[in-house]
Amino acid sequence: MRKQLCEIRDIEQYLEHQQDTADQRVFEARVLTSPDLAEKMSYQQKIVQLVRWLARRNKRQQLDTLYHQLMTDETYRQKITSIFR
Amino acid sequence: MTMHNDPIFESVYRDTLPKVARMVHRMGGDLDTAKDIFHDAVIICLEKKQQNAVNIGSDQAYILGIARILCLRRLKDDRQYVTIHAHEDDYGIPSDFYDPPPVSQPVISFLKNAGKRCLQLLQAFYYDKLPMAEIARHLQYKTQHVATVQKYKCLEKIREQVKQTQHEEAAL
Repeated sequence: MRKQLCEIRDIEQYLEHQQDTADQRVFEARVLTSPDLAEKMSYQQKIVQLVRWLARRNKRQQLDTLYHQLMTDETYRQKITSIFR
Repeated sequence: MTMHNDPIFESVYRDTLPKVARMVHRMGGDLDTAKDIFHDAVIICLEKKQQNAVNIGSDQAYILGIARILCLRRLKDDRQYVTIHAHEDDYGIPSDFYDPPPVSQPVISFLKNAGKRCLQLLQAFYYDKLPMAEIARHLQYKTQHVATVQKYKCLEKIREQVKQTQHEEAAL
């Protein structure tokens, strides 16, 4: 695997807490002494946050679809809407 | 309980929504609010189950418990969607649950249009927390190693896009 991908792997292992304590400390020291690595880690962290954000948004859309399907059942729709009358 | 074509999920959904709706109504909320709170509670429940983070006996009871907390936060508290750090118990809301998107709209659009397979791969690993062997099988990569290397390439590609977009925005 090329160097750049190995670095991405190292960042991932740090962010996902897959390293032992000694390796964590070594990695933290590398981040402190390399602004470039710190920037790459920050971007990688953002991507993971984005993946989670998109996954939740996707789930909300799927649940909205299910909601609209259920509400086409007139009896069920009446049951729900009558609560708010 | 999973979402996709799962009759158990649909049954829990069907039975629990009216209960959440009654609770939201009692607290002064409307139907749309009830639906949103219910969906958020369902997502949190699914996430906790996926991560085996808590011991959930009854899905319905758990969803109602989470919905009650979300309701209190949204309808009884002026500080809408403020993270409750004190709730580090079974009913804790993920701290980033109501965070805004971490990147700008152009990056989101780029990912959705150009990086669908990458996104599937990253979502399976980072959100669904599936093992790489299962991800490789499901997404039809030859081996686990191929899928893993592809995951790193995806991260590299998206990282460059995020970086470029942020630099462009900073230059404006």
